[in-house]
Amino acid sequence: MAASGNFALWAWLAPALSFVLLSLIVPLRRSGKPAAWLSIVLSAGALAAAVSAWRASVPDMARRMLWEWIPVEDGVLTSVGVLADADSTLMLILVALVSFLVQLYSLGYLADEPPASLGRYYTYQSLFAFSMMGLVLAPNFVQLFICWELVGLCSYLLIGYWYARPEAARAAVKAFWVTKAGDVGFLIGIVMLWSRTGTFDFSELFEMAQGGSDALTGLGLVMFCIYLGAAGKSAQFPFHIWLPDAMEGPTPVSALIHAATMVTAGVYLLFRTAFLFEQAPEVLAAVGWIGAFTALFAATLACVQQDIKRVLAYSTVSQLGYMMAAIGAGFASAGFLHLLTHGVFKALLFLAAGAVIHAVGTNDIFGMGGLARRMPQTFVVFLIGTLSLAGIPFFAGFFSKEEILGATWEGGLAVPFAMLVAAAFLTAFYMFRVVFIAFMGAPAASGAHGSGHGGQAAPHAHDAPALMTVPLWILALLAMVIGIGFARSHPEAEFVAPGWLTPLAVGVALAGIVLSAVVYAHGWISPAWIYRRLAVLGDAAMERFWLDDFFALVYRSGILGVARIVGWVDRYIVDGILNVLSAWTLTAGDRLRRIQSGQAQDYVYGIALGVLLLMVWMRWPR
Amino acid sequence: MSLESIAFWALAVVLLASALAVVLTRNLFHSVLYLALALTATAGVFLSLDAEFLAAIQLLLYAGGVVTIVVFAIVVTERLVGDRITQTSRQIAAGLGIAGALLVAILAIFRRAPLTVPRPAVSGDLTRAIGQSLLTTYVLPFELLGVLFLAALVGALYFARPDD
Amino acid sequence: MTLQAYLTLAAMLFCIGLFGVLTRRNTIGILLGIELMLNAVNINLVAFARFLGDVSGMIFTVFTICITVAEVALGLALVILIYRIRRTAVADHLDLLRG
Repeated sequence: MAASGNFALWAWLAPALSFVLLSLIVPLRRSGKPAAWLSIVLSAGALAAAVSAWRASVPDMARRMLWEWIPVEDGVLTSVGVLADADSTLMLILVALVSFLVQLYSLGYLADEPPASLGRYYTYQSLFAFSMMGLVLAPNFVQLFICWELVGLCSYLLIGYWYARPEAARAAVKAFWVTKAGDVGFLIGIVMLWSRTGTFDFSELFEMAQGGSDALTGLGLVMFCIYLGAAGKSAQFPFHIWLPDAMEGPTPVSALIHAATMVTAGVYLLFRTAFLFEQAPEVLAAVGWIGAFTALFAATLACVQQDIKRVLAYSTVSQLGYMMAAIGAGFASAGFLHLLTHGVFKALLFLAAGAVIHAVGTNDIFGMGGLARRMPQTFVVFLIGTLSLAGIPFFAGFFSKEEILGATWEGGLAVPFAMLVAAAFLTAFYMFRVVFIAFMGAPAASGAHGSGHGGQAAPHAHDAPALMTVPLWILALLAMVIGIGFARSHPEAEFVAPGWLTPLAVGVALAGIVLSAVVYAHGWISPAWIYRRLAVLGDAAMERFWLDDFFALVYRSGILGVARIVGWVDRYIVDGILNVLSAWTLTAGDRLRRIQSGQAQDYVYGIALGVLLLMVWMRWPR
Repeated sequence: MSLESIAFWALAVVLLASALAVVLTRNLFHSVLYLALALTATAGVFLSLDAEFLAAIQLLLYAGGVVTIVVFAIVVTERLVGDRITQTSRQIAAGLGIAGALLVAILAIFRRAPLTVPRPAVSGDLTRAIGQSLLTTYVLPFELLGVLFLAALVGALYFARPDD
Repeated sequence: MTLQAYLTLAAMLFCIGLFGVLTRRNTIGILLGIELMLNAVNINLVAFARFLGDVSGMIFTVFTICITVAEVALGLALVILIYRIRRTAVADHLDLLRG
């Protein structure tokens, strides 16, 4: 374990070093490309260390490296450290791999940025890698929460990377606010748990759970509060509203943070503390239901999006719902497995979308078209990613998705199971909608909207430079390897799936593809016809079910209203009291000044009075 | 009533009356004259206390010296010829109040304290006794007094120097 | 007469002197009041010396008288100086210490 812990520590400290160097040495940061290469090299080192850590790890939560942090009377309140067991090192590899590939990709994607901004970007990326790894390796709730908040901060900084754009700034604030709402619940949950059990440490809590400790009874409310944090971070309904808007950030950021790592932090948290959630089965049921509903809900919204990144964003929300549903059904490892595979192919999809956007100059899929011919490499990797997401055999997502469906069925959540199946159908549908509209068919009319680096819109599209395509191919190959590898020898499931599950899953996916082809590729059924048939549902979907507006209303009237009241109290009452006191002091001082008249005789008065008082005092209590 | 008590009462009346006159007269010059009278009466009080030497000193230094100095000061600072030297008093009520209160306080202390000591017999020549202690026990303060006078002299000369 | 009589006399003289110090406008008038107070102190000292048989009280008085003389000399020199500069001997006008 010591070796695993050490490797994990190296992996964790490499991006920390990068962040410290880049933030302190200003000329290095302002130089742009050298800063980028520093960060990239260190993240490659982190990846190597992460792989070594995984290979040396054992699945035992008790062995960890700790450094005491906050001392209290008898012992330590909490520590910081590294808990590098089999699961956390696996997640560490995911974080390190996607981080490295995204940083490499960003150098090509953001090649036109001014050097100072580029340096700032890589500083944030390094900070994010450090925080995310700290979260993954956290041995207790305190370090987890601190890194949780840091990750949220990096998300804010990176979404708002182009801060001069008002939409980006607003999206960053929105992301921060919504996740913060969940985080408040999280913090309350952590403190409540500590007041019950007296410890923050995962290993100690695990032992208490194993031993059937009394402190762990009646944890329903506590675990629900902790779940709120995960719901915010992992974009569960109704906290999902920040994720589509977070697409205002650069695409590599979306790939890293809003597909593979940060949003999966919530899933990871639930996976890590599954033994605690088992103590509160009603909360788990809620998790499962909310997860399945989110999956279906987001899938419907994804069907009507025009922005390619929005499609992928809603797709991410949907897949996060899948993971949560599996955890809610009681089979957290299925959710974790999907987290890993999803991380790979969703990052792939985002990066490929980024390549497309970079070449074409617009996010609108209706402004693209026929890209398969002009960007063959990108088309291939995007197709690989899409097939993985749809759950087609021999591709990465197939096995994990089927696991989740099986877990939901075995866990006894029948209605969520149905929702997940419907979501699978829709997933295949909307992904292939994008493929057919953007990559097949005729190019869109040029002169639409586009300021890509090629100048005009579609006609000048071409495959991306090497810095961007290499990560794409690495991820695509990884997806294929995982897919084929699982087909041959997959990890043992904790349950026995019913025999009809696999055919159902595959059939549903194929049905989605077929429908999508029918509508978009051949145009036998027009989208407008479907839209009319779905009437209300379609309109609502276009308005994103008015959720964003609802939250905005709550924010403006509720929170801002309260803020205004508090501000008024602060200005007029708190400040008012102080102002009155100071005015009185000034007046009193003014009046008292007159004692100092400058006339010597007045001072003699003072002396005489003093002597008189002394005499009276001497004589008084006789 | 013995001679002693008659003398004391007479002196007391003169002393207090002239003191009141000092503080209440408008004319500053008259004030000074009344002060001379008060100082002389004090010398009489000293005599009644068998302190002849002190009475002599009082007359010489106070009634003679101080009054002279004050008169000179008045001459320098006021115009003697022509306008009357007048002065009004300020805040009489307050002054009366404080002084009265202080008097009451002091007298109240006297009531409590055991001060009915009989007057002891005169033991030898007080002047000789004073002289002896002055030059034996208290010789240091005596010499320092000389230094003090020197300092006062120099100081007064410095203050009163003509402007150069 | 009794000690108490002398002390009462001295007390009254002292308070009259204090009244003078507090109410007189002219600086010299104030100095006259101070003279009265000092006289009262002297009477006190001599009375105690006489009634308690200790001659040091009278020695104290000698010193007091001498120091008073020096103080009067200097005080009046100051008054004259101020009069030269400020052309006034009224204490009310000397309020440079005013806060």
